[in-house]
Amino acid sequence: MTKRKFKIGPYLLVSPYVLFFLIFVAFPVLFSFYLTFHKWNVISPMEYSGLYNYEKMLHDRLFYKSLINTLYFLAIHIPLQLVFSLGIAVLLNTKIKFSSFFRAAFFLPFIVSGVVVTIMWQQLYGFNSGLINRLLTDIGLDRIGWLTTEKMSMPSIAIMATWKNVGLYIVLFLVGLQTIPKYYYEVADLEGATDWQKFKYITLPALNPTIFMVVIFSTIGGFSLFIEPYVMTGGGPLNSSLSSVLYIYKQAFDFYHMGYAATLGFTFAIFILLVIVLQKRFLEKNY
Amino acid sequence: MKKALIYIILIVFAIAFIYPFFWMLIASISPETEIGSLTFLPAHFTLHNYISMFSKIPIGRALFNSILVSSIITFCVIFFSAMVGYALAKTKFIGRDFIFYIIIFTMTLPFQITLIPNYITMVKLGFVDHYAALIIPFVINNFAILLFRQAFISTPQALIDAAKIDGCNNMRIIFQVLFPSIIPTIVTVGILTFMSTWNEVLWPLIVIRDQQLMTMPQLVTLFSVGGRAEGQLGVKLASAVLLALPIIIAYTFFQKYFIRSMASSGIK
Amino acid sequence: MFRKLIPILFVVFAFSACSTDQKTKNELTYWSSNNMQEITFTRYFVKKWNDNHTNKIKFQPIPEGQSSEEVLMAAVVGKTTPDIYANMWQGLVEMYAKSGVLVQLDTIKGFVDFIKKRSGEKVLKEITSTDGHIYQIPWKINPIMSVYNKKEMDKIGLQTAPKTYEAFLKAGKMFSKDTNNDGYIDQWIGNTSIKNIWYQRLFDFYSLYLAASNGGHLIENNKPVFNNKYALEVLTFLQQLYKKQYFAKENNATGSDKFLGGQYATKWTGPWDISYTNKFKPKGFEFGYSPIPVPNSHQGPVYTYADPKNIVIFNTCKNPLKAWAFIKTLISEKGDLKLLSLTEQLPRRQKMEASILFQDYFKTHPKIVPFIKQSNYVYGTDNCELMIEVLSIISDEYEASVVYNKKTPKAALDAAEKAINILLGNFKTTN
Repeated sequence: MTKRKFKIGPYLLVSPYVLFFLIFVAFPVLFSFYLTFHKWNVISPMEYSGLYNYEKMLHDRLFYKSLINTLYFLAIHIPLQLVFSLGIAVLLNTKIKFSSFFRAAFFLPFIVSGVVVTIMWQQLYGFNSGLINRLLTDIGLDRIGWLTTEKMSMPSIAIMATWKNVGLYIVLFLVGLQTIPKYYYEVADLEGATDWQKFKYITLPALNPTIFMVVIFSTIGGFSLFIEPYVMTGGGPLNSSLSSVLYIYKQAFDFYHMGYAATLGFTFAIFILLVIVLQKRFLEKNY
Repeated sequence: MKKALIYIILIVFAIAFIYPFFWMLIASISPETEIGSLTFLPAHFTLHNYISMFSKIPIGRALFNSILVSSIITFCVIFFSAMVGYALAKTKFIGRDFIFYIIIFTMTLPFQITLIPNYITMVKLGFVDHYAALIIPFVINNFAILLFRQAFISTPQALIDAAKIDGCNNMRIIFQVLFPSIIPTIVTVGILTFMSTWNEVLWPLIVIRDQQLMTMPQLVTLFSVGGRAEGQLGVKLASAVLLALPIIIAYTFFQKYFIRSMASSGIK
Repeated sequence: MFRKLIPILFVVFAFSACSTDQKTKNELTYWSSNNMQEITFTRYFVKKWNDNHTNKIKFQPIPEGQSSEEVLMAAVVGKTTPDIYANMWQGLVEMYAKSGVLVQLDTIKGFVDFIKKRSGEKVLKEITSTDGHIYQIPWKINPIMSVYNKKEMDKIGLQTAPKTYEAFLKAGKMFSKDTNNDGYIDQWIGNTSIKNIWYQRLFDFYSLYLAASNGGHLIENNKPVFNNKYALEVLTFLQQLYKKQYFAKENNATGSDKFLGGQYATKWTGPWDISYTNKFKPKGFEFGYSPIPVPNSHQGPVYTYADPKNIVIFNTCKNPLKAWAFIKTLISEKGDLKLLSLTEQLPRRQKMEASILFQDYFKTHPKIVPFIKQSNYVYGTDNCELMIEVLSIISDEYEASVVYNKKTPKAALDAAEKAINILLGNFKTTN
């Protein structure tokens, strides 16, 4: 490959993307940015409002609430996701029978539409006739207000989200596990290492890139949490499950504050990037 | 002993993952009054929920629309994303890294930012209430580009050099020379794209109003959240079953590929 | 393989590009709701019109669900609005009117007289925008009433749903209990959605507020006017119901219908409930309708929320007079009877119980009669551009005080009043 000669080829190859990017990403982003300085209810003409939207946001209790809710969701969802997907992947990797059946079972929720999962879990989570609470009472425990208490609504949604996506991450971890050379473990066996030591000093470090990926994917997924609270709780009780996207949606499509919704959208986008950068720092420092 | 424990754990989890689907299925064939106390098998069996759903919505046409739209998008995504992925992996040009970072950035961009402007674009292009509105905004996919880039990076440069000596242009290198060696990635992108397109709901809701052009998830969602299910849980669950069914059937047939696709989607 | 597919692709695009609707110039487009019965209703009148006129009507139902507002808004942005839209919630009209996308109907000759004759002076006043013009045709309503399970009411010695707060709470005490002794209440006197979504408050707080205050307002002259003793009584009453567990703190979307299952003795609902209950009730289930509860000291008739859906003409319409001529056929006395009999939604017509034309229908459909009587005492919404956000603020405070008992009703009303004042720009915000 030579660097010196200018070639048209690569440019032709990326041109569809550039075109696509300009129309469906750059223009909308710029347009949204422009919107943050305006009041617009879509049907009336736009009205210039300076920094009003930003000021409003800084004093908006629900903006902070939705941000904290989303971080709370991530704080539950990511560890759950990691523990379960890594745990199950390690178990599946132990040369057991029917492993493809198990893998297929765990993968099932991931492939179906979020709408289906949400409709289903809303019934499972019901307080009086939901299946989970019926099971709990059968074994003598108290019922839990999964979706109807402030404390539990976000964790409930996080559990459901984990259930839905864990299959994908199990498979990713399995791939990671299979790339670890067997003789690492053989050497460790010779030196008399315990299972836990092998896991800690061989498996975990080798899986670091996969862990990083799972964290990033879950973060992006968490920041786009929408259909679950929208259908199941409407953001309640007491706004405890109001996710950032649901709040944007409310501002845009319930109240028609397009300018304000755009301002929120931008702010959350910056937060996502920030969180990802922090996670990258943290994970890279640790290994 | 240890093995037995592993099996028990796995079986418990497997039940937790399959049972809700099973419950949904049996609830959809139970009479409305029995759903509340249903655990394993319904006391009475009825197809009433399905019959009442079929009489209310043109589900067949919606199935056709979904297959058509998802197939075209999948084809386009493979075609265009492979081109871009190749350019990023195997060529050098000014702005290459810039484009790469743009792709990463775009992936983290919340779709809410672009939703309204994109709708306006659709209107200006006259695409509203046409298949084009369902297809055009999805013909390229950032994630697919990254997957192709990843795949092309690991293809041997010698193959490309040899092809160049034979006088192949870029397109032939990508689609004739290199494609056979990255089939897993193509399958991955295909399945991922098809699946996500199939499950997309919000965008069709906004750009399609003509019932004849609606995709299946859109029609089912409208049916189950709108008034037409008349608040009947069984009918809603029946429509949810129907929405899940095609993808589950595809999954049972191509399970190996589904999982292998996901497996190879690990970018490092 | 790819080369073979490309032409197919082109054909598909060409096909989709060609199928643009060939709208003839004189055609009027009409969007209705997506409700099956309404589609039948509209088809009937569209066919009748098209058989006799050269200016055809093109009819299309709007996708319903949680998105019909988005679809409409999207249509406005794209300037692809229909000429006539028949299902606009009254609380939204002011916003569209202020944006200048609706036709001023009061400028059409004979319009005001027609509406006055059909719906009465009061309704005319209710639908007049803050700028003095009229942008909507009051069309159909679904008054909110209590439906009750006759057998369960019998058990606690009542003939109808309890009519005052005191009676309601007393009935709650008698009826709500743990029947199987598992430590959890499993039958309740009633239920209303606990979801914090603005429109849910129309069917509980707002209906009860209208009843308590004889049709009082939320917003008047761009100011909140609901921080009064009526609203306070309503919130206190509702808070009691949840505090004492007389109402179920569960979303009614969960599980199968608990009213039909006998676990809820009453609920607040509209006339759509009649055919629904008849269709899905278990054997031997008996039910009736009575007005929603009011404070013990209440005087006079019991008002309720009308849930009005109206017809508007968008100003993209080239021929509003033709549109009005068609609409008049829908809302004639015969049209209104057709609406009632096909959709079981009430036309917004005054003195229906005296109409000779309607008598046969009432005789064969006795369950509709309480709603017809109730329709003399209904109110829709105030004309406020930001109605949805007003209701949303109220809903936030409602949730905090009524459902979760985190605030006193008084504190909730004060907070809602303050937030709405800020929203409507009545205070200078400090920032």
